[in-house]
Amino acid sequence: MKAREAIEAVAKHRGDAVAVCALGMAANEWWAVTKGEDAFYMHGAMGFAASFALGLALSLPKAPIWLINADGSLCMNLGCLLTEASQAPKNLKHFVVDNQVYQTVGALPMVNQGRTDYAAIARGAGIVRTRTIESLDELEREMPQIASEDGPSFTVLRVEAETEFLRTPPMTYEGPEMKYRFGRALEKRFGIAVFGPQGY
Amino acid sequence: MTRAIDVNEKIHEQLKNSGVTLAASLPDDWVAPLINRIAADNTMRHVRVAREAEAIAICSGAFFGGVRSVALMGATGLLTCTGELATLNLRHQIPVFLIVSQRGSIDDQRIYQEVQGRRTIPLLQTYDFPYHIVNRPDEIASIPDAYETCRLQKRPFVLFITRKLVKGDAA
Repeated sequence: MKAREAIEAVAKHRGDAVAVCALGMAANEWWAVTKGEDAFYMHGAMGFAASFALGLALSLPKAPIWLINADGSLCMNLGCLLTEASQAPKNLKHFVVDNQVYQTVGALPMVNQGRTDYAAIARGAGIVRTRTIESLDELEREMPQIASEDGPSFTVLRVEAETEFLRTPPMTYEGPEMKYRFGRALEKRFGIAVFGPQGY
Repeated sequence: MTRAIDVNEKIHEQLKNSGVTLAASLPDDWVAPLINRIAADNTMRHVRVAREAEAIAICSGAFFGGVRSVALMGATGLLTCTGELATLNLRHQIPVFLIVSQRGSIDDQRIYQEVQGRRTIPLLQTYDFPYHIVNRPDEIASIPDAYETCRLQKRPFVLFITRKLVKGDAA
């Protein structure tokens, strides 16, 4: 399965989920497929989209929060799995696009390439609902269940590495603009106050 | 003992006065009593993390959920998350309020805190992260103003607590 196909299959079932995307391939592909403004696309802090999504999920417990992570990012912050397991937010779904390379910088191999079982690591951390999905058919079959069950869940999407740079362009909003678009979208949708009366 | 309890009670109270309802923490021994107080408070969500940068990103996510939060850590932990503070919080202009032990001060004679004592504030100045040092119990009342400044400046804000504050003169 290609990364784009996996992202399309996940996105098709997202309903009204708010997405948080790890920087690079995950963010670029999610933007290409959804053009979603109710998503946060990390520009930095590789590895910490997971923690950002957890903070959002704990703050908006009735909102479905879907984390679109990637294997390189996950490995920068494996401790996030312990924190996710300990907080156990029912509204958080964690997806990992596992292509076993650092795709964005030219498909250089991941550390321990081909040997790591991320779902086993997540299970070991205490996340009960974990899966590794190897094909598009399997993903299409599993997505309705993944979308409807309680979180926290952890789903590894095994995808083929591209051999060269993926040229998918990133979303077109600069850092602060993304902050305000995302924050205003959540204010409107959930009736919350992200910004104060003077706009900060 | 009594003083330490009073100080942490006051900090906790001022965090609540600032509207804080979520705390993410990784302890050092100076902030541990405050973390224990917050962990026992059912009105505040407490998230224990495995690395300090997780606390930064959790608080950043909470910002977008309309929740006011605080990240609690030691000075060494602050040094570990400067990359995330720059590329997440500066990049996107997301405020995050930190309470950090000001380790390596002249009354903190621990060799492993020496670099933190000399280089933490110059590092914050390099990033242009505002900070405020609370050294006396009567200065704890400044926390709500510090919190509002953090929001207004849209960046990480470090509130340092000193050894004198948390341990008292006799310690």
